[in-house]
Amino acid sequence: MSALGGPKQTAGVQPPTAIGIVLSIILIVAALGLAYYLVQMAGVIAVVGIIIGGVLIAFGVHFVPVGGAPAAMGQSPGIATGVAMLAAGAGLAGLFGGAWAAPFGFAVALAGGAVGGGLLMAITCTMVNVIYIFGMGIPAASGKVDKDPITGDTFPEYKSQGTEGHGLPFISWVGGVVGGALGGLGGTLIYLELLDVYQAQLPVLLNTTVEQIAPVAISLAGVFAIAMFLINAVLAAYNITGTIEGPHDPKFKRFPRAIIAAAVASAVAGIFAIGLLELVGVF
Amino acid sequence: MSVKIEVGAGGIPHNQILIYGLVGSLVLIYLTYLNTYFQTEYFAFFGGLAAVVALLWGTDTIKHLCSYGLGTGVPSAGMIALGSGVVAALFGATTGPFAPIVTIIIAAIIGAVAGLMANAVVRMDIPVMVVSLIELAIVGAMTVLGLAAMACGTFEFLGMITGTVTFLGFTMLTYETSVIGGGIIAVIFMLGAIAIQHPFNACLGPGEQQDRTLMLAAECGFLSMIPVAIISFAFIGAYAALIALVISIIGWLYTYQQYIELSKRDAYAWLDAQPIMEPEEGGA
Repeated sequence: MSALGGPKQTAGVQPPTAIGIVLSIILIVAALGLAYYLVQMAGVIAVVGIIIGGVLIAFGVHFVPVGGAPAAMGQSPGIATGVAMLAAGAGLAGLFGGAWAAPFGFAVALAGGAVGGGLLMAITCTMVNVIYIFGMGIPAASGKVDKDPITGDTFPEYKSQGTEGHGLPFISWVGGVVGGALGGLGGTLIYLELLDVYQAQLPVLLNTTVEQIAPVAISLAGVFAIAMFLINAVLAAYNITGTIEGPHDPKFKRFPRAIIAAAVASAVAGIFAIGLLELVGVF
Repeated sequence: MSVKIEVGAGGIPHNQILIYGLVGSLVLIYLTYLNTYFQTEYFAFFGGLAAVVALLWGTDTIKHLCSYGLGTGVPSAGMIALGSGVVAALFGATTGPFAPIVTIIIAAIIGAVAGLMANAVVRMDIPVMVVSLIELAIVGAMTVLGLAAMACGTFEFLGMITGTVTFLGFTMLTYETSVIGGGIIAVIFMLGAIAIQHPFNACLGPGEQQDRTLMLAAECGFLSMIPVAIISFAFIGAYAALIALVISIIGWLYTYQQYIELSKRDAYAWLDAQPIMEPEEGGA
């Protein structure tokens, strides 16, 4: 979050333009078609997996309580940094968890990714509250709702005048953990799909065994998963424009726009990642 | 919808920087191809210089884009730039001698899609969004390709995934000791991302001056070149890597000194604080 102010917060949600929707559908269909042409059914499955992963990341980012610069001064609730940074942290932690668990099978790897991302956000959110409450001496109070939807705690009597609330209420903590888990799940899904594609193609292309080529396949899949994670997280951040408190924030209702954008961006970036090896040795 | 915030006026027009940046980085990255032509490794450092030129252009683009107020901070623009860029750079690298040109085209496609999504679906409605994200994706891609070429001496994919190890006098071909197989590409990704997101983030504000911001961008670029030059000792000859290291250190020292000069010029006052001296004897 920059201290420079963002686009004006308008009431309600502006729906995507008709051109945007049509373009989105065309691009996704084109990506699926191209994937079938390049790598047949395995490519289509991989692109669908990457799109689902991207959508999970963009959706997960909306849960994470982002406070930005005002939160650093205790003037708005949330964690005192930008959306892209928090999402990158949670996503990479999830990706490490998932990549470590990859040899244990698809489901275990996905669970490992979700646990990794959720754990990082749980630790971050807890320590944020420790610093807010015991270090800065400010109680947790939301500015957007009067009552915590989970615990039923009331906020107005604890909220300082002139602020949008402060600290990290329980609902925001839960949102952070859910967001981290979804992000880690999505990042791991992208990683696993790309790893499958590279492990199938690279040994044939370079005439080697799967074990010999493993470092290249893992590294390529990992760096592309990070890249797509960041593209989706930034698009979701643009959708939020600045700060969000968590799932109870009115801005949360904007998420369908980010899901469309993330699906298209993932499909386009994914088709280049899948088609990567098609041109090796052609020129 | 968008609030235009203050950045320094004057300086070189953005379109001029765009042309210099695009042509400059393309030419410099092709100079690393002299390695393949002459069968040497001494031209690897041109890749790093291509990254520096691209970063200068990218910083001016970020300044142009972020003057509309994104609401998410300057670093997010750097993150999406490198995110789109690394996909394009590695895809482009598979096309052999055409790598830099293909990279630019692919980066432009990914950047255009991200920009259209940001404007038409997420409804940022920022006039320069699509163009800026296209430029940023190209900048990110050229940075990754340039630094990767600097690390291993070539911008071709097969050169990036294969390396050699000498064991008991035998030279073996392996995939572990390579830029991609060794995970160096992730380091390059982060070095590029930090270099692109820092300069404008550090210099923005009412007193922002273009020459100072761009000097910081060059400084960050050379700073990122230093670790890549050290990494390149593992992949290219010691003398070639040493040349790259010396050039990065000289470039960094010069740009850092210039940046301090410009900061002193733009500062209201400058105090060269001395350490507090102990009284010679007795004391107060």
